Amino acid sequence: MARINPEFTNELKKFGAFDTNACYNCGNCTAVCSLSDEDNSFPRKMIRYSVLGLESEIQTSLDPWLCYYCGECSTTCPREADPGELMMSLRRWLSAKYDWTGLSGLLYKSKTASAIAFLLLLVAVVWFAAYEQFNIETVMHYGHFFEMAAITLVFTLILLPNIIHMWWLTVLKPGIKAPLFAYFKATSELVVHMFTQKRTLGCDDSQVRWVEHFILVLAYLSLLFTTVFLNWFSSQSVFVIVLGYVESVLIFLVTFDFIRRRIQKNDEVSKYSHPSDWLFVIWLFLIGLTAFVVRLFIDFNFLVNNIWLYLVHLIVMVQWALLIVPFGKWTHFLYRSFAIYFNCLTLAPQKLEKQADAL
Amino acid sequence: MPGQMKILEYDVLVIGGGIAGGESALNLANLGYNVLLVEKELSIGGKMILLSKVFPTLDCGACITTPKISEIARHPNITIFTGAEIRIITKKGEHLFEAIVSQNPRYVNIDDCTGCQLCEEACPVSVIDEYQYGLVGRKAAYIPFSIASPRAAAIDIENCTLCGACERVCPTQCIDFTQTVEEFLVKVKSVVVATGFELFDPLKIPRYGYDKFKNVTTAMHMERQLSPTRPFNSILRPGDGKLPDNIAYVLCAGSRDKSVGNPICSQVCCMYSIKQAQLLMGALPMADVTIYYLHIRAFGKGFNEFYAQSQDMGVEFIKGKIGKITEKENGNLILRYEDIEKGKVTEAEHDMVVLSIGLLPNQGISDVFDNETLQLDPFHFVDQSDILASPAKTSIEGVFVAGTASGPMDIPDSILSGGAASAETTSYLRRAAL
Repeated sequence: MARINPEFTNELKKFGAFDTNACYNCGNCTAVCSLSDEDNSFPRKMIRYSVLGLESEIQTSLDPWLCYYCGECSTTCPREADPGELMMSLRRWLSAKYDWTGLSGLLYKSKTASAIAFLLLLVAVVWFAAYEQFNIETVMHYGHFFEMAAITLVFTLILLPNIIHMWWLTVLKPGIKAPLFAYFKATSELVVHMFTQKRTLGCDDSQVRWVEHFILVLAYLSLLFTTVFLNWFSSQSVFVIVLGYVESVLIFLVTFDFIRRRIQKNDEVSKYSHPSDWLFVIWLFLIGLTAFVVRLFIDFNFLVNNIWLYLVHLIVMVQWALLIVPFGKWTHFLYRSFAIYFNCLTLAPQKLEKQADAL
Repeated sequence: MPGQMKILEYDVLVIGGGIAGGESALNLANLGYNVLLVEKELSIGGKMILLSKVFPTLDCGACITTPKISEIARHPNITIFTGAEIRIITKKGEHLFEAIVSQNPRYVNIDDCTGCQLCEEACPVSVIDEYQYGLVGRKAAYIPFSIASPRAAAIDIENCTLCGACERVCPTQCIDFTQTVEEFLVKVKSVVVATGFELFDPLKIPRYGYDKFKNVTTAMHMERQLSPTRPFNSILRPGDGKLPDNIAYVLCAGSRDKSVGNPICSQVCCMYSIKQAQLLMGALPMADVTIYYLHIRAFGKGFNEFYAQSQDMGVEFIKGKIGKITEKENGNLILRYEDIEKGKVTEAEHDMVVLSIGLLPNQGISDVFDNETLQLDPFHFVDQSDILASPAKTSIEGVFVAGTASGPMDIPDSILSGGAASAETTSYLRRAAL
């Protein structure tokens, strides 16, 4: 027996949702959605679950991750219940649920907590630099070391356990028994979707959104590789230097356009911006911009006298790596692609049954 | 120039000659009041006279309307202006309103016209017939429709080529191209607003493909095809004239939908769709009819039984709002919706789609009041200032509202509302006499 929790929509409002209770269950949103199909009919069911407060049904569902937010459902909703933004809020809520530390939920819900966390890290970096007597060599050395350590620790301590938690919630808990080979077979889907986000192409809106996002993901991942493993800031290789420049320019150009759209609010997808959305695009923009300028200063030999610039970059990096990546919007990169991976597993047994019936 | 205008005096001015305005006028006239009934169309009878059978009794709409209409037309206490509009209404004091009514030229002398239709035969100009909702054509010299009242010709001067053919064949020489707009100053003691409704324009929902897909039509078109004065004597789908055998009704097309600016229920679409489905079962015995609904609102007397009857007759009801419609090469249509009971996105093919379009306010009447404000409700219908105790009362004392001018309602309610307005008008007039 399901237990109804009318307070749940109020909880969701903290994650960005609007007047979810206005929904009268006509199913228009599901019918206009070009990604919705017979196996995964959304978003109406998710709205119903939210209105009733059936948390466990939402936690075990992958549907919020299968929506790529074209906004058609919100534009045409007869009750202006904003199903598109509800799905977005559910993704934030789910990210918080998957996170074993609970910090995600705190940062999503509270602006004050976010501000304190960002401020603490700023102070920590400046304090550390002061401790090292603002020696550019050592600060940069530890900065590079930090990047490597952060990647390893955040991944093993936070992200990996969270993905396992997500797997437990969405695959094991609903009792989906996927054969081992299904896990192997679906890996290709995982990789393809992680790096291309090609499901966005199924949306009815302009494909510019996908192209920009695709460029951003590739530029971001390769800049990460260039700075961490090719040690861009200390590299002498012209190829590596130019590569880093191109990547960082792409990042701040694309994120600049994203910020512009969020300010202009012309299309449904950028109409509403939760603080976590602003932090994500602005910090990514700052990473691209400061990395670019730092390397420029290195090349023109200005950095030695301008250590503050590297400090700005380091502060942005530290806040990004310790807050936005593990507990913020960055996680959608993993959860979205793993949702498609887990969804393949849930589909597999049904498809096998169908084949068996045919035989 | 008011000084040069012809001055007319009546007890009551009724604006709108539909079933609600007609009922008010008739009641008031029977009580001995002199009534001026002003109708902007060329015939009185409003929307109801164009309908087929009406729910929930399946009585023929015209068979109820026409006797009433001819009673109104013959009544010694009622003067009717058709093709006329109210320019301005000024409240001069208690029980005194002055209205300027302009009579648009019909170019036909109604009193002399015998309705012989010779002018229609002679007229060389063919245009789309708006009274048949564009299903067929008519001439530029025409009788609006067969059961129009007055059943007199009119010249559509916008499309007329002034060839004079009608004038030459007219046996009573009633065609007069020299007519111009004539204005009257009307003094009345009370006003009844019965301006009715407008139909929702389905072009506002582009994803339903109205006008783009030929076989997507509206319930009013279907109403004309089903009515006794129907143009084809059969039901044809507009794309290719094929007899449809799998018809879909899309409910809440333009009602209860904030995204198209009409958040309220139109109150009649569920029932008229169920009615049309039953009539289709008779007209096309082999056809399947499916009604896609959000919630069936069968709240009136005998309505739920009528709904159950349609289910017994084999009308299929599916819960789910149609999200979008696409057209196949053969003109058939694919309807995409979420089957709410199954919770799954579904697509269904139909060879004809009827949009059950909603009712919108007929705007503009509040602008004619000069020195008083006729309050409108948030949805632009005339506001009923005391909806429970005196439902016909408006924000202006002495101005009463009847029928769908105050909000969407069905025919029985419109006639009741017309009755209420006439009763409240009477009590207002009696107070003047005392």
